[in-house]
Amino acid sequence: MSNRTHEFRDPIHSFIKLDSEERKLVDSRPFQRLRYIHQLALSYLVYPGATHRRFEHSLGVMDVSSRIYDVVTDPENIHHDSVRKLVPRRDSDYEWSYWRRVLRMAALCHDMGHLPFSHAAEATLLPEGTRHEHLSKAIILSGEMKPIFDGLKIRPEDVTKLAVGPKYYEAKLSDWEAILYEMIGGNVFGADRIDYLLRDSYHSGVAYGRFDHNRLIETMRILPREDQESEEPALGITLGGLQAAESLLWARYFIYRQLYFHSVRRIYDIHLTEFLQEWLKDGRFSILLEDHLRMTDNEVMAAICEASTAPTAKAHEAACRITGRQHFRVLYESNLNDEKINLANVDLVFQAATKEFGRESVRRDFYSSEPASEDFPVRLRDGKIASSLALSETFRVGQGLRFQVTFVFISPESKQRADKWLDENRAKILGEAK
Amino acid sequence: MPEFNTASLILALTEKLREHQSWAGETHVQKAIYILNRVLRVPIPFKFILYKHGPFSFDLRDEIGWMRSIRLLEWEVRSNSYGSSLRTGQLSPILKRQFPEMPQKHSGEIEFVAKRFAGKNVAGLERLTTAIYVTLDETTPPHERADYFHALKPHVSIPEAEAAVLEADALIQVVNDRSARAMVA
Repeated sequence: MSNRTHEFRDPIHSFIKLDSEERKLVDSRPFQRLRYIHQLALSYLVYPGATHRRFEHSLGVMDVSSRIYDVVTDPENIHHDSVRKLVPRRDSDYEWSYWRRVLRMAALCHDMGHLPFSHAAEATLLPEGTRHEHLSKAIILSGEMKPIFDGLKIRPEDVTKLAVGPKYYEAKLSDWEAILYEMIGGNVFGADRIDYLLRDSYHSGVAYGRFDHNRLIETMRILPREDQESEEPALGITLGGLQAAESLLWARYFIYRQLYFHSVRRIYDIHLTEFLQEWLKDGRFSILLEDHLRMTDNEVMAAICEASTAPTAKAHEAACRITGRQHFRVLYESNLNDEKINLANVDLVFQAATKEFGRESVRRDFYSSEPASEDFPVRLRDGKIASSLALSETFRVGQGLRFQVTFVFISPESKQRADKWLDENRAKILGEAK
Repeated sequence: MPEFNTASLILALTEKLREHQSWAGETHVQKAIYILNRVLRVPIPFKFILYKHGPFSFDLRDEIGWMRSIRLLEWEVRSNSYGSSLRTGQLSPILKRQFPEMPQKHSGEIEFVAKRFAGKNVAGLERLTTAIYVTLDETTPPHERADYFHALKPHVSIPEAEAAVLEADALIQVVNDRSARAMVA
């Protein structure tokens, strides 16, 4: 295959381009598997349009991260000597092209380790301490991927560093590598976050997830954290991007409240996990790569459909909860007023409900995401650097936004009786404070 | 689900840092918890790796995020340019009332760390805790550890790294003496 440019049409980024060597990674078995992993698990049972897959998201992350790279390494956008020493020179340096390619391939690979239905069952169905990033790392470093990285003339270890980041790479990253990782997985405005917000918003129809990502990317810079009296570099923006960054904060908040924290979506994750615990051998996913690569949403969904029609099948009840829409209902959701009375409010309601209705009729759920991480460096017109928090009223207000939900669910069969019971006993239950 | 006893310890440390006039930004709390755990051996279930401004824990970042989310901690902006500080949130009195054990049990260690390091800025804490990280990793002479430190954090000069390594050695010695005295007592 000659080295030419290939294009993917994409609803978020119009055209995503890659060359023939990069295309070999897209054509690889681990990457093609992502065509069969839903980005948002069973959310399509609540938001019918949310059927998009990790495949297109990963392409999107590659596209956004390379745009960020091009902006922040542009010599016109480098204002500090400490940063100039860090960043390879674009005009003459082989390193510049090397790291651009590593970044793009790491962006493509960052989700390869996802289990069927993405995050839904990850915490429960992998061995203690194992996360999908460990599987991504194993795939990138596998013999199957080596010829592809050899063809691209990049080191798999470097791809791993940027794909899974310092937490899962479990070795030190240089300052430059840490900045590159932030371009993909950064918790302020990494390409992963930018793409999933835009894409999930588009497909789910939750329109609040949009923001001016083009402006945000154009204003990104690598800046020393002089605002914290340190020369350590971090990803920041110029003052002109502040409103775009503010709108990202609100987009993230709204989409969490509307989509990721949706109670029905949350309970479907629990029913799915329960099904898998019964259906999988030993109640867990295998972490052998061959087993992992063979398992997608398709295999699991076929098993759910089959189990739901056979009353004697393993996991029949959990399967019926999903296919028959007999999911559990919300009995109780934690809230500030009750937390003021007792911080263990959810535990107390869960325990009391379990005692009253039986363990099989009650479920609890906790889901948290990092609240707005809006403290990043901003380059002012006079060249000084300030904290975003010091500059933005929006970020100051936004710091109180709640990025977590805690539910107690009850079976639909007990729902009516349980609502009445909780109404009558709520004060007594919460009053049982330590 | 995060654990309230650990949250109570973080809250107590944050309060104590502020009491001793620390800026008490997230980096200050991260580094103080690192010292509390790795040097004073207070049991805190967070793994640290070398990342932002030295040893950094993603788990602790998430824990602080969760604490902000349920109003145990909150940001305070105290300057026109510097980053923000952490302070106790609306629900912190409830946490202290319901989960007092960890702060009570480790009050001496919390006071020691807060008093000793409250005056350090981010750059100072970055240098000291990176030196501790290198020192706990390597048993080589100070100048070799300083070279290693500089290789890991090139924006810190070798003389600065060497001074930090010596400070780390002194700190570890003080803590060991303190522990020995406590055992005798």
